[in-house]
Amino acid sequence: MKMTKKLFAILCAMILATGLLACAAPAPSGNSGADDAAPAADSGAAKSIGVMLSTNVMSLDSNLATDGDSFEVIADCIDGLTQMDADGAAIPALAESWDVSEDGMTWTFHLRDAKWSNGDPVTANDFVFAWKTAMTANVEYGYMFDSSVGCVKNADEIMYEGADPDTLGVSAPDEKTLVVELIAPVSFFDSLMYFPTFYPLNEKFYTECGDSYGTSPETFLSNGAYVLADYTPGTSSLSVKKNPDYWNADKVTIDTIKYQVVGSSDNALTAFKSGTLDLVMISGSQVPAAKDDADLSSKIKVTGAGYMWYLSFSQTEANANGGQLANTNLRLAFTNAIDRESLVENYVMDGSLPTYTCVPPQFAASATTGEDFSKDQEKFKDVCSFDTAKAQEYFEKAKEELGVDSFEFTMIYGNNEGDEVQKVAQAIKEQIEGVLPGVTLNLQAMSKAERLDKMQNDNYDVALTRWGPDYADPMTYLGMWITDNANNYGFWSNADYDQLIEDCTTGAYINDYEARWNALYEAETIAMNEAVIAPLYTKASANLISDKLQGVEFHPVALNRVYKNAKVAD
Amino acid sequence: MQKYILKRLITALLTLLVITFLLFWLVRIMPGNPFPSERMTDEAIAAKRAEMGLDDPILTQFVRYMKNVLKGDFGKGTSLYYGAPIHTVLNKAIQNSFRIGGIAILLGTFVGLVLGIVAALNRDRFWDVFCSVFSILGVCVPSYVFLIFLQYTFAYKLTLLPYFFDSTQFLKSSVIPALSLSLFTMSTIARFTRNEMIEVTDSDYVLLAEAKGMYGYKLVTKHVLRNALIPIVTVLAPLIVDLLTGALVVEKIYGIQGIGKLMVDAISGEGIDYNYVLALGILYSAMYIGIMLVVDLLYGLLDPRIRISAKGGD
Repeated sequence: MKMTKKLFAILCAMILATGLLACAAPAPSGNSGADDAAPAADSGAAKSIGVMLSTNVMSLDSNLATDGDSFEVIADCIDGLTQMDADGAAIPALAESWDVSEDGMTWTFHLRDAKWSNGDPVTANDFVFAWKTAMTANVEYGYMFDSSVGCVKNADEIMYEGADPDTLGVSAPDEKTLVVELIAPVSFFDSLMYFPTFYPLNEKFYTECGDSYGTSPETFLSNGAYVLADYTPGTSSLSVKKNPDYWNADKVTIDTIKYQVVGSSDNALTAFKSGTLDLVMISGSQVPAAKDDADLSSKIKVTGAGYMWYLSFSQTEANANGGQLANTNLRLAFTNAIDRESLVENYVMDGSLPTYTCVPPQFAASATTGEDFSKDQEKFKDVCSFDTAKAQEYFEKAKEELGVDSFEFTMIYGNNEGDEVQKVAQAIKEQIEGVLPGVTLNLQAMSKAERLDKMQNDNYDVALTRWGPDYADPMTYLGMWITDNANNYGFWSNADYDQLIEDCTTGAYINDYEARWNALYEAETIAMNEAVIAPLYTKASANLISDKLQGVEFHPVALNRVYKNAKVAD
Repeated sequence: MQKYILKRLITALLTLLVITFLLFWLVRIMPGNPFPSERMTDEAIAAKRAEMGLDDPILTQFVRYMKNVLKGDFGKGTSLYYGAPIHTVLNKAIQNSFRIGGIAILLGTFVGLVLGIVAALNRDRFWDVFCSVFSILGVCVPSYVFLIFLQYTFAYKLTLLPYFFDSTQFLKSSVIPALSLSLFTMSTIARFTRNEMIEVTDSDYVLLAEAKGMYGYKLVTKHVLRNALIPIVTVLAPLIVDLLTGALVVEKIYGIQGIGKLMVDAISGEGIDYNYVLALGILYSAMYIGIMLVVDLLYGLLDPRIRISAKGGD
């Protein structure tokens, strides 16, 4: 038997060795180039940072991209006419300067000398081409050209009535001049220009690439601070490296940004601690522990994520037990029964702001005074606050008007929309049922897609939903509640409100900034008095930033993170 | 035998077709629309639906889809990586998953075999007990838990290996996911090998061989191992499929651009991506059916009795 043992020890060793060899064998095939490249990536004194993305980059084509992470990478690589300064105001980028006609309806942008990464000059025609392409290709954000936002001449006719895209009110009298004609003055038109939907595309390159545009570094062109270094669709990691030909290359000091998609915030935290990533987002439930951690507490930075969470009430007869939620007093009772402070402190926990206005704070400031449109969060305290007595008062009126004593509704929410949403839904249920005896609020979780489907088809009572601003003007929220707007999920309608919004977009107030600003406030007052929605909180992001990374600019609107002026400490 | 192979092949293809149709129908009756957008107008959604032919009768859609699939065209994503044709994204994902999965299978099978053999030859002694404990642990601990443990130890604490998968350092960043994925295969193979070896060792023909003076290496390899391997081949097949399809969470956590992660993204994103779910569903089914077919045929080769019964059955 001893002999057997020896023989077997040898056999085992052989099998193990073969196994290990076999393990090594398959990898080099087909990937040898990539393996060889490994040492080069980390060599030298190149300044490199690692940044977390929370979702995969879905597209690098500015006409197809719809998510913030894609926009961020596109904006690293492509400049628009303007860019954001640290406070979110529009400052020159590819446009060196611009003039606005007296009537505010013609904008003339003067382009600087800039190059695409294939050596072609950036011309005004690159914008004309991109915008005309967007008319048919950009199904998600094309509306930013139309009469509800950008008011570019003929955009509505082209997108909604099938007119020829060549009739769009944009032209290039010469290579360096871009003229945009509007159908109404848009005071914030310069700040729309930093949104990726308005970025230029190199016509020849874009057409040659066809469907493969933006699917690899070879099929993507930059004119911005960075060029794409490593990317395939679906990848969990990608990187951009400094563009030496960028018009403002002297100001860019970070050589490489490596992006890593991280699915869970626990993993993000460990990756941050390990030094793999320099900028990560953590969930609210991790914030208290991070604050108590001596190493981490100084690295927490809370920034505005932009979007506002709110309750949407279906107000049609099709729902809510024959349309009970069409009763304004009932909706006001709900609004006043919610303890928003408690929601953000105990459940969201990431620095989100309790919100009592239907235009959230932090993203829209007046062009004349610089004051935040929604700085005063107490302006509607008579109709929106946490006041149980008032809630019960409204509730009594509602019961009387509707002639019933008990109510049962279902609240839908997404189970794939963030860790805290389930807890917030549960808390709202408890708060409303606690303050308003007789109300039963059932909870129903579903995917975001299903939630949207139910809301769009008016097949719900109450929904926990959110909206992020697309541009820095209150209209990005207030425009939603006009009659028949696709995002008017309550199916609410008010003629005065509709008139005010129309006056602000294409009517009486378009040439009078102050009057328009006041009219927007008036419109918001109507919406709040009728509790069209119940605002809950304005979401924040809790970031961890390593000491070596400084100067990243955070914005709640358009581009959430900008690295052009960031530095790596020595 | 040829008739047997042909019959098996036709059954396999028919099964795949039925599964594909079921998947095709199921994704279409799921709640929610394939373009979960709050900014697209109804007209734009209608245009998108028309472009994808979603309003045609389901059979028409299916025939059109199958025609394209046979040409290697799986369409484009509806909510994932718009613009990029699915087969390009899928190619990359298959490469990554198969390489890491391949390493894990080889590692799991070899170490599992060795452990099983050692345990069987040392019945009721230390190595046997060690092997049992290891097998139980390996079967009970999900691979992603092991992954988190390895990631914490070797990438975070010891910083020997990359914290996330990095395609520029393929070998180094394959160690953690391949090890964690191989654990289940390793344990299962070890347990099976041990049991089969012991059963065969106790059998009459091995006793006879020993009585005839055969012992040691020759006896184990020629008589014991060969006979013990037959059932192991049957276990190995589903294990391979489980491993390749079960890498979902591991790929997601370690950031590997593989088919598992793609599947998670396709079903847990904002909307369910019809085309990705279908393409991956077909891929998974084809893998499963294909491997089962190979095993059936291989089994026939290894064990003459099966060939005979197959013949008899015809």
